[in-house]
Amino acid sequence: MHWYVYEEFLNDKKYAAVLDRIESRLSDLEIKGRVCRLSVLKNLREAVKEAVDQGAETIVAVGSDQIFFKLTAAAAELGVTLGFIPLDNSSLLMKAFGLPLAEKACDVIAQRLVKKIDLGKVNNNYFLDSLSFTGEQVFLEFVGYQISPATSEATLSIKNFGLAALNNSNISLCCPCDGKLEAVIEPLKKTWWGRLKLIGRPSVFPFKKGKIVSVGEPANIIADGQMISRTPGQITIEQEKLKVIVGARRLF
Amino acid sequence: MFKENPNKTGKNAETIIGQSVKVEGDFVGDGDVVVEGVVIGNLKTQNHLTIGSEAKIQAEIAAGSAFVAGEIIGNVKIGDYLELTATGSIDGDISAGSISIERGAKINGKVSIGGEVTVKNGKKNSVKEVVDEASV
Repeated sequence: MHWYVYEEFLNDKKYAAVLDRIESRLSDLEIKGRVCRLSVLKNLREAVKEAVDQGAETIVAVGSDQIFFKLTAAAAELGVTLGFIPLDNSSLLMKAFGLPLAEKACDVIAQRLVKKIDLGKVNNNYFLDSLSFTGEQVFLEFVGYQISPATSEATLSIKNFGLAALNNSNISLCCPCDGKLEAVIEPLKKTWWGRLKLIGRPSVFPFKKGKIVSVGEPANIIADGQMISRTPGQITIEQEKLKVIVGARRLF
Repeated sequence: MFKENPNKTGKNAETIIGQSVKVEGDFVGDGDVVVEGVVIGNLKTQNHLTIGSEAKIQAEIAAGSAFVAGEIIGNVKIGDYLELTATGSIDGDISAGSISIERGAKINGKVSIGGEVTVKNGKKNSVKEVVDEASV
């Protein structure tokens, strides 16, 4: 049974037409299921658990990348397959998973090509795309050695997917099926306009387990765009943890 | 017709230690390793090691094969082939299966090629054995 989660912004009337088209296409494909419309009062994890208890085997996120990221942890923990119908033309997951936009993505859901992908974990919180850090300078400790940015303007991030690469030709997308995370240190410099510009080759360290620590005060840990914890943080990879419906034109 | 997507992921990940990074401790790489920054301690990989012209390394090194264009202070043990370019310098003992040294390269230490590294008990050692035996 399929279960569709509509992101909050889809409650706006201007999305009624596209949602009608999606529901109509799902009916044609005979994969119509229950719909859950998110609101500020609804706990996403509890809603997913209730759906699984009622027999849902596939959860489909409808909306932007953020709704997919929010569903990742619950889907991984409960062992259900996660699909995505993107409604945002700038969606990076749409490109990475090889999905078309809106109602055309229903066909990919119906074809049900399932791929198992890795998830990162930091302090018991899952992440799909990447970790970044704000605040104090951070460094990464592995068994026997540690790495740190040599200048204060270089930034450290941890990538499982590294979707930002789709908007930056200087860095490449990471493979979320290789059983490794990648610590990436990018040397940056502020331009006249105050923007940060990459000024050299990024450093890349594939790893399976590490610890992020900060110099001085704890730094904020941001996973898939949401602040979830503070340093220090234990970082690990959970191999083939999430089942995702992907298109044939996926990038991994 | 089957054009390769430029964003598609590469599965043979390599470690790149860029100029903006400092590595301290016993670094052990899984795949190929490229060093353009600073390494202090030990550096070990069973695969290929590339040391760029801006790299500064104070470490004992063990690798399957190596290309050296930067500065190394420490002993170097290479299982297979070591290539030292004109900008490269090694201040320490070198042992390698075979070596090529470009004019202008600097070496300050004992160099042993062939026997000591690749032959043990009359048999040729594999690259893995050489790297595993290295005292790093």
